[in-house]
Amino acid sequence: MSAPSPAVVGPVCEVLLSHDLPDLSPERRALVVEFVRLRIGTLPTHMRLGVTAIGFAVEGIRRAFGHDRVVRLSRRPLPLIGEYFRLIRSLSYAYIWETWPTTTPDGGQP
Amino acid sequence: MTTTDYRCDVLVIGSGAGGAPTAALFAEAGLDVIIAEEGPWVDQGSVVPFSLEQMDRQYRSGGVTVALGLPSVAYTEGRCAGGGTEINSGLYRRPPQDVVARWRERWRIDELDPDDIDELAREVEAEISVQPLPGPASAPSERLRLGAERLGWTHDESPRWMTYPTSDPRQGQRQSMTRTYLPRSSRAGARLLTECRVDRLEMSADRVRSASVEFVGGRRASISCRAVFVCAGAIQTPALLQRSGVRRNIGHSLAVHPTVKLAARFDEELNVPDDVPVHQVKEFAPDLSFGGSASHPGLVALALLDQWEDFRDAVTAWREIAVYYAAITSQGRGRVIAVPGLRDPVVTYHLTRRDRALLRSGLSRLALLLLESGATEVYPSYRGAPRVTTRRELAKIEETFSASRASVMTVHLCSTVPMGEDHDRCGANSHGRIHGFKNLFVNDASLLPDAPGVNPQGSVMAIALRNARHFLTAEWPRV
Repeated sequence: MSAPSPAVVGPVCEVLLSHDLPDLSPERRALVVEFVRLRIGTLPTHMRLGVTAIGFAVEGIRRAFGHDRVVRLSRRPLPLIGEYFRLIRSLSYAYIWETWPTTTPDGGQP
Repeated sequence: MTTTDYRCDVLVIGSGAGGAPTAALFAEAGLDVIIAEEGPWVDQGSVVPFSLEQMDRQYRSGGVTVALGLPSVAYTEGRCAGGGTEINSGLYRRPPQDVVARWRERWRIDELDPDDIDELAREVEAEISVQPLPGPASAPSERLRLGAERLGWTHDESPRWMTYPTSDPRQGQRQSMTRTYLPRSSRAGARLLTECRVDRLEMSADRVRSASVEFVGGRRASISCRAVFVCAGAIQTPALLQRSGVRRNIGHSLAVHPTVKLAARFDEELNVPDDVPVHQVKEFAPDLSFGGSASHPGLVALALLDQWEDFRDAVTAWREIAVYYAAITSQGRGRVIAVPGLRDPVVTYHLTRRDRALLRSGLSRLALLLLESGATEVYPSYRGAPRVTTRRELAKIEETFSASRASVMTVHLCSTVPMGEDHDRCGANSHGRIHGFKNLFVNDASLLPDAPGVNPQGSVMAIALRNARHFLTAEWPRV
């Protein structure tokens, strides 16, 4: 059984990175988003299905209420949805600091 | 797709710490052996240890796998020739004799003699060159040792399966399965099929007749054999058995060593991105032990992530930071469930109240250890964690820690097909044969009745040798 495409995580990943790491260049941000999307595409089937389902819900919130609501939601310790944001941030941060170790806490270059 | 058929005496599924020694012994005894390995062959040295590239190439699902629960427990599995032995830290622990004796009594395992297991462990140690470092340990490792000494806590250096061409420990070469038992099995005629996933075993009454496999690219094949050894690890072994209709006492009793982490900052640059500390602190073992983790900058960022808004400034000082863990011997249990229609099993794990309390005290004690060793700041990995700089602030960890807010993970998975003669609890008999089957065996971490409290791969290899030899003398003539 194949899972739906995880492309839905892309816009939310963009929102989180823009908020958390405002100095990260658009080019690097695009690379990070692509990495996260590909990684989520290799998750075990049930996890991918769950992530995609939550992703659609969060994407709906983003479209209906805007980026700020998504960022506020990402700070709340909610079951499942909280894990979704944590997964995106974990993959993003691991990629950023492994690939560009001198990245500043705001995502810029020293 | 083209169907190709293979035939052999024994099919060994998986090429890690259980499968590789099993295959080597069978091939050297003259049996026609096929090893089916789902992952690729990756030469050592072709990827940086603990890097994202390594996770892509040698870990299942890129290293992002989770046992569902509150909290969920992240785990990793090797998915390559050599399995977990290719990707772990190479730290070795001999099976503890009291643990082996306990397994024998509580799970009614016949002919499991702690002295015999000790002897087998020595054989394994010689084969994979288990030895201490030839020179000084890394700075993060020395910090652990120093902190333990100052507190008067028991500690030691864990030997590794490494050879050292020089006295420089950084030149060590891991003696994993691709350098030891797999070449041995190949020299004796075993055939290794990589990127070959076994979908299911085809049964006829109480016997396995063949295995249906799929190669990367979609080519399908059937492997006919007289006996099957499933050695795919504590998650994939029960999943395959369940997919094949074998379910009694299979996958019900997953045991792990849950760990929590912290990052510690020192007043010197000590980070070693591609290696882990060898010292371990055993003052509270087997319930609780401390050690060091891989600490490349990406992993330092991960360790800071749970309280990023407060800890984020530390990420630029990653050269002064190392990541450490507190591991517990859990009384919780989990499940592996193969769901029809899904390629991957669903895995769950439940921490007990005692486990949660132990994780809390473990993290607090680990922070104390690092402060004693000279850490200037400690950053525990859980939401709401305080930045700890003095002993007095350790109480904040006790006050604010909750396992459900923490990043709990494990790399030690076992016990999903426990061996023994207690038919109410055990999926396999005392030597790994699945109860009710004549030619179906398990020979990996799944057989260990519970988590041994130390790195389990030494136990896995010793028991694999024991069971393989028993098969050759007692089972093979009958199958």
